[in-house]
Amino acid sequence: MGYSQVAVLASAQTQLRPAWNDAQHIDLISAVVGNVFKGTGLTLDDVDFVIDSGSDVLDGRSISNCGFLGALGAHHKEEARVEEDGLWAALYGVNKIRSGASSVGLIVAYSKPSESDVDLYWSSMVDPFYQRPVGFGQKAALGIQAQRYLAAHGITDRALADVVARRWAAAAANDKVAMGKAPDADAVLGSGEAALPLTNLMISRPVDGAVAVLLCDGDIARRSGRPPVYVTGMGTSLETHSFAARSVNRLDSVEKAAAMACGKAGWASGAAADVVEISGSSVIGELLTLEGLGLAAAGRGIDAAMDDKVNRSGGALPADPIMATGLVRLAEAAKQLAAPARAGLAGPAKALVHGTGGVAMQTNCAFTLEV
Amino acid sequence: MLYAPDTSPIDLPTFHSVISLPYTLTPGRCAGTFLAEMPNRRIVGSRFADGSVVCPAQDFSSLDGEEPEALVQAPETGTLTGFTRVGTDVIGLIRLDGCANEFPHRILADLPAIAVGMRVAARWSDDDKGTSILAIEGFVPAPDAPQGEVKPLVGPAEPLGVIPYAMALNYEHAYGPYYGRMFDEIREGGRVMGVRGSGGDDALLPPREIDDITHKRTGTWKACADTGTIRACSIINMEVYGQTRPVPYVYAEIVLDGASTRMIHMIDIDDLESAKKSIKPGTRVRAIWTKGERKGAVSDIERFEVIDA
Repeated sequence: MGYSQVAVLASAQTQLRPAWNDAQHIDLISAVVGNVFKGTGLTLDDVDFVIDSGSDVLDGRSISNCGFLGALGAHHKEEARVEEDGLWAALYGVNKIRSGASSVGLIVAYSKPSESDVDLYWSSMVDPFYQRPVGFGQKAALGIQAQRYLAAHGITDRALADVVARRWAAAAANDKVAMGKAPDADAVLGSGEAALPLTNLMISRPVDGAVAVLLCDGDIARRSGRPPVYVTGMGTSLETHSFAARSVNRLDSVEKAAAMACGKAGWASGAAADVVEISGSSVIGELLTLEGLGLAAAGRGIDAAMDDKVNRSGGALPADPIMATGLVRLAEAAKQLAAPARAGLAGPAKALVHGTGGVAMQTNCAFTLEV
Repeated sequence: MLYAPDTSPIDLPTFHSVISLPYTLTPGRCAGTFLAEMPNRRIVGSRFADGSVVCPAQDFSSLDGEEPEALVQAPETGTLTGFTRVGTDVIGLIRLDGCANEFPHRILADLPAIAVGMRVAARWSDDDKGTSILAIEGFVPAPDAPQGEVKPLVGPAEPLGVIPYAMALNYEHAYGPYYGRMFDEIREGGRVMGVRGSGGDDALLPPREIDDITHKRTGTWKACADTGTIRACSIINMEVYGQTRPVPYVYAEIVLDGASTRMIHMIDIDDLESAKKSIKPGTRVRAIWTKGERKGAVSDIERFEVIDA
């Protein structure tokens, strides 16, 4: 028996807001779990397993998924928690279906960073003897990453700000992200220093929200009456924990993850994709990711960043529901393939999806999707 | 999007919570020695089989997991390889002379004076003479600093065994519409309200939008009695971290009359032996509310007590 095909059948998202002050995690989770089945012909009874992503540190309770099981629809079902971005939860789910062990999987990721101190969340990830005391954390790592990249490649602050403004405009058009007026490049440059040379808007904005994705095998997908979007490749790779020991001005693990995913899909490189949804922790992180995915040469990520096919949803810069961001990218990419006209695409297409986690994008995951 | 609950919105402030845990961190031999040598003002690195030196000292190579052969004394001078500013702190990556790696530390200089490739030297702190990496206050520009050398570490200090450590994480949890109304009803009315499950009259406590078991919408609001029945209990006679009252007491899971789920609360007892006889699953109990103004919290019920048969 061969492996099953696996499809992204449907997705549901809450709005991504700076703070969902009037909703708990379970309120956000049950909203997306309730909505994800609409129009699929499936119900929760058809779900063989639930895999969820979130962070105990962000949630403020240990094994936080235990308190969310009912909202997740996981009562008396197989359930597992992935303490990594939701794209890894999807990877786990795809493998369970592809192996033939299951037919339908519900993948859920959620985040309420508004309830905690995000800097402490990042600080909890770094070494407590050498790094935490000197103030090294996510912002410092992203700042050093950016300083080196700009010095090496002569990119201007203005060019970076143009990319960020483009992402906010895309997010405003996509209507999934709560925001005031989308900032233009001047507003990006004037948003205050976060970590030199990055301004606050050049770093991804933490937001609250939840996303659910329904995965199923090929047979169910074909019967569902929705255009199936197949997962044709996946890859994942990690950088060393020691930020200072990583390659300068490149994300090797993005390259490795993309090579693994594209190899499975039979693509020559990530450049084959018509839709690219990536999770940059900063605008420089986006450029490094585009280069790692094979969409631009080293130092030229800025060119690919302005391509229409990249982050039509807006990406992570305007809305980073930490731990759910990559799964949002998967949902957004699958929607663009399932309804190409709405996304401004000519026809059947390929998508490349990227998720990340850890300080300065230590872990990276890539999916290829095809219709 | 979220369904609107069949109640007016409750505009409660967030629920403040702190997770503050004590730790005893184990630095291991290399980091333990590095930290133990801070008061001696020596910077310790690890030398690996290929001759490369990593500083601060590490028990394992972060690249290939190899273990070092020896501890060495690294020089106090090096080169800046990258930097940023977060708030008012300038943080840079420093490669000490003779070392293969870089590490982050504070750079004690104004930005215009800082450039990648510049020579830097450690400045020892006047204030911190303890076993923290902050005994090195930071690195200062040292344009004329001669190239330093890695030397053998003569007479290393005993590595620190464990390091007491604490981390406190602050939270502002949202109540949401369901918990919000429940706590508001406790505060305003001194009554415990739940919502009916999706298929019956008994209430779920705490209330929620979706029934955990059926994953269907829950029903209408319902006030439960403040009397109920113990369904599980344990006499707690051991002091553990995080307790809110002195031992002994009884931890009880109580189904309030009119509810279908258990709520957790406490029962005060005089002594263990009589508690064993009088408190068990099936025992009827009543809530004893606190005197004075209610806060809108489970602790507005001070405790439960046994209803004498």
